[in-house]
Amino acid sequence: MVKHNDGLKVSRRDFLKTAGALGLLAAAGSSIPLGIFSTGCSKSNAPAGAQELSVNLAGEPAQIDPNRASWAAERSVISQVFEGLLGFDKTLTVIPVVAKELPTVANKGISSDGKTYTFNLKNNVTWSDGTKVMAKDFAYSIVRMLDPDLATEYASFYYPIAGAEAYNGAGTKTAAEKAALKAAVGVKATGDYTLQVTLGDAYPVFLQLMSLWPVYPVREDVITAQGDKWTEAGNYIGNGPFILTEWVHQDHMTFAQNPKYWGTKPKLTKITYKMITDANAALAAYKNGELDMSGVPVGTEKATMGDASLSPEIVRNADLTTFAFQFNVHVAPYDNLNLRKAISTAVDRASFVDKVRGGVGKVALSWIPPGMPGYDATLGTEYSFDVTKAKALLATALTELKLADASKLALKFQFSDTASNKTIAQFLQGQMKDNLNIDLTLEPMESKAFTQTVNSAKHTWAWFGWGADYPDPDNWLPQLFGTGAGNNHTTYSNPAFDAICKTAGKELDNTKRLQEWADAQKMVIADAPIVTMFYRERFNLVKPYFKGLTPTGMDGQIMGDQFWTNVTIEK
Amino acid sequence: MGKYVIRRLLWMVLVLFVVAFVTFCLMHLVPGGPWDRDKALPQTVVDNLNRKYGLDQPFLIQFKNYIFNAVRGDLGVSYIYQDRSVTSIIMGGFPVSATLGLVAFLIAILVGVPLGIAAAIKQNSFVDYFAVIFATIFASMPNFVLGILLMIIFSVTLHWFPTSGWGSIRQIIMPAFALAALPAAYMARISRASMLDVTRQDYIRTARAKGLTERVVLVRHILRNAMIPVITIAGPELAGLVTGSFIVESLFSVPGIGRLFVQSVSQRDYGLIMGTVLFYAFAIAIINLVVDILYGMIDPRIRYD
Repeated sequence: MVKHNDGLKVSRRDFLKTAGALGLLAAAGSSIPLGIFSTGCSKSNAPAGAQELSVNLAGEPAQIDPNRASWAAERSVISQVFEGLLGFDKTLTVIPVVAKELPTVANKGISSDGKTYTFNLKNNVTWSDGTKVMAKDFAYSIVRMLDPDLATEYASFYYPIAGAEAYNGAGTKTAAEKAALKAAVGVKATGDYTLQVTLGDAYPVFLQLMSLWPVYPVREDVITAQGDKWTEAGNYIGNGPFILTEWVHQDHMTFAQNPKYWGTKPKLTKITYKMITDANAALAAYKNGELDMSGVPVGTEKATMGDASLSPEIVRNADLTTFAFQFNVHVAPYDNLNLRKAISTAVDRASFVDKVRGGVGKVALSWIPPGMPGYDATLGTEYSFDVTKAKALLATALTELKLADASKLALKFQFSDTASNKTIAQFLQGQMKDNLNIDLTLEPMESKAFTQTVNSAKHTWAWFGWGADYPDPDNWLPQLFGTGAGNNHTTYSNPAFDAICKTAGKELDNTKRLQEWADAQKMVIADAPIVTMFYRERFNLVKPYFKGLTPTGMDGQIMGDQFWTNVTIEK
Repeated sequence: MGKYVIRRLLWMVLVLFVVAFVTFCLMHLVPGGPWDRDKALPQTVVDNLNRKYGLDQPFLIQFKNYIFNAVRGDLGVSYIYQDRSVTSIIMGGFPVSATLGLVAFLIAILVGVPLGIAAAIKQNSFVDYFAVIFATIFASMPNFVLGILLMIIFSVTLHWFPTSGWGSIRQIIMPAFALAALPAAYMARISRASMLDVTRQDYIRTARAKGLTERVVLVRHILRNAMIPVITIAGPELAGLVTGSFIVESLFSVPGIGRLFVQSVSQRDYGLIMGTVLFYAFAIAIINLVVDILYGMIDPRIRYD
């Protein structure tokens, strides 16, 4: 029996040592509560009548400082907690929010040369800690957003402000030089409730820029006191209808009503943003009652529409986003206009939307999407699917390129290697083979490598999408098709187009301005540097008790997230 | 033993330095950087960002700065979650992954090892066939399939557990089982094979010839020796489990470090890549050391001097 005990002793010692090793690992993070011993479950079993909403943010926002934010998920948060001088209503028209009225030339809010804007603020707007929102808060915010050391991503949108570009580009200058450039930025609080902004040149879409999140007010005293921690729950002082009460990183965020909100109080008393990244898991959470709204995995839209219990809960909304194939027009043979036209005519977009996109989205023959100024339903009809016409165009192209047959074209297509992009690439490959007998080589790339290739114009032909920063052609044409512009990855260059952009950019007569942009878009479509494919549409399941959902074409990560104030829960 | 441990720890410092350097080089060599966005950023903005993160410095200076700061315990800030330090992100995610991993590890051991042992003792019986089928199914089923299956059965249909999140025991059960399935199958197979192997050894015949009871032969001689290969794989298995799983954490929205690590690479979050790689290297080195020490205790043939 002694031997027997020995045997047991050894194994127990092993066990204890193993346990010790585990304990060591757990101790590495012991300062953070592991929190698995609470029995509560975060499922939203709110009592009947509770105005509580639970939706999916689909991931942790990068950072929620309005001046620095640039991603959709960040906007979903910022829009609840902050309000700007101006904002967009649900039809995407600019409206005054903290400002008393929209500045116009008539009310002297805009100078006759279109360079000076004066914003009169409401005097009853408060921060969530009760103090007044004043012009100095906006002045501080705008100048902070331009600070080169803060390195904000949307700063360049505000370069039309006098001195803004010089200050934002002063990163390598001395502190004294920076201070001088900072003081020279054309943003001044001329009274407690008056903000004056001076532009370098007339810029008629400036009011739209003043409706965006980078110029929402932020509190200097809070940021100075809290530093990088100012965006944590509790420190995150805003002036919007909700306050951030909890941010469990990588897990969820919770919002409550802002008790000091100056406007009409929202109905919702609590909003939970979950961070479920997997689309299948989000759908399961929706079905299990943990989410009140959810998307469906890409490719299952058709099945969802055919599902008797789920189809009544589908809500779709057109987004201001266009997807297209872009050529590098300075690389042979993509520099041949007839080849590009042939390809554009040979792609069956209706079948693409139906088969590849699961019937979600709208066929796009031109660039600017429906739902915003600049959309032209008659534009691009020459690219309607027509195999005979495409073959004729291809024959002309081959003659011009002095090629014997299509097999000599050696076309290559690059894309970021995801499952949905692969389907898109294979569809294109099939269309080229079936309709033009062209063999297309597919070149999948790792996502960031792909982005770098396209951004440095080393691609030949690639997939891309563009979503509106603001609903105006100004955001859709010069940046993408202007010679040498930052997002011009087609390397398209057309002096006539550049000339129109220059005049349209500062044209104060709105009718004339939109006409100029319409002409500019026509040029791009005629030159076919891109094969526009479809306008995106959001596709969500929404619980029947979730009332007042108000989607717009420019929502953040979550459909309807700009208007949670309209939502009620009627269980 | 003390000398051995000290020698191993010194080696570990060297290993960490080499890992840091190789990672740093690779990270900067792969095409695409943290500021390559679908919507290209203007050059002035990129310059500002580079300056803020010290990426405008020469490569070796950047590495030197990183190492100097790391030695002082400052792993820098994340390039994506710009307001959060890498240390706070890792210390937020690791306890979660470690908890989930430990639970999964315990499930794997408690299910896998007894099943393997039982299968070996009753070779070619119902228990054995069951164990083999169990091991084959769970070894070949990818955990995202198993995870979805668990969700459909236990959340959507039975409403027993929430599908996602972290913070309660009910939220840990499904991801832990999804994570434990493969190692449990593996443990069952290894312990079965190892048991059968040891049973055929000469010293077992000797033990029986000495007239020891079957119970003593089994516990003292067979089990103890058969467990050596199991512990060999248990170490790395534990290291793999506690450092998190991208798939299971993403599927069940567990705010762990496995998901962050993969995200940091795909988004070129230089700060977080370095932090997590070094942390992993450290954790794995420590676990390996512990396993080696355990060997010495179990197997009298292994001695560290």
